[in-house]
Amino acid sequence: MKRHLADVFDTMLAMKPVLLPEAKLPSSGGRVTGAVGFGGERVTGAVYLHLTEPLARQVTAAMLGLTLAEITGEDEVNDVVGEVTNMLTGGLKSWLCDAGIECAVSTPAIIRGTAYDIESMPDVKREWLVFECGQERFVVEVHVKLN
Amino acid sequence: MPIKILSVDDSRTIRLIVGKAFRPYDVQLFEATNGEEGLAAAQRETPDLVILDVTMPVMDGVTMLTKLKENAATKAIPVIMLTAESGRDNVLQIAKIGVRDYLVKPFKEEQLIEKAGRIVALQKKAPVAA
Repeated sequence: MKRHLADVFDTMLAMKPVLLPEAKLPSSGGRVTGAVGFGGERVTGAVYLHLTEPLARQVTAAMLGLTLAEITGEDEVNDVVGEVTNMLTGGLKSWLCDAGIECAVSTPAIIRGTAYDIESMPDVKREWLVFECGQERFVVEVHVKLN
Repeated sequence: MPIKILSVDDSRTIRLIVGKAFRPYDVQLFEATNGEEGLAAAQRETPDLVILDVTMPVMDGVTMLTKLKENAATKAIPVIMLTAESGRDNVLQIAKIGVRDYLVKPFKEEQLIEKAGRIVALQKKAPVAA
């Protein structure tokens, strides 16, 4: 996931996020979260990409070749965050598929808010990676349950 | 005559990037947001090339590709899959149905132009006279 995230951010956004060694989820203000689920006979789970609102706008500008001032609404930010999450999940799906664990992925969903946490169901393994990108931090969270 | 390209992706972001990539070329771009719309557009416009996502609502890209290849009027239209899914079995399954190329997201616009340029004769737009 670390390598794939670096590839997605470098190729699509010309950004080079740095993985932080801390294991704690950062507390947050306004957030935009992309969520893509995956599931098959042997695995179910989801990938969440939590971006601060300023970083979500920066990512949108970089992806679409726009200036920050040209981003006028939430729709284009939501679509870009969903697409980046989709690319991250696609990489995970491909890795699972090559390991013999077939699954399908969902279309992306977006969560916006200021104070929420994603809770996992029992038996679901939950891991996250915290990255720094310029002045902002973001989190990739993966929930996996092997059946 | 411009080259007719149909971009089928539920993500507006990807359709915008595809549009930006082909902007310098003499291309007429059509867009669809799912396989059902894409199939209708392919039958209506008979594009020279389809750029097709896999995971979409309403009708996914694999179903659209299968229907496209089953129809005598559209089976010769070349298709490039543009998808985040690159698992070996997925690629093989899709290759069996019949695609000309496969581009995995994340991708650079130049990669898309290079792959499209192997299938259709892309010509740069003539500069607009002042």
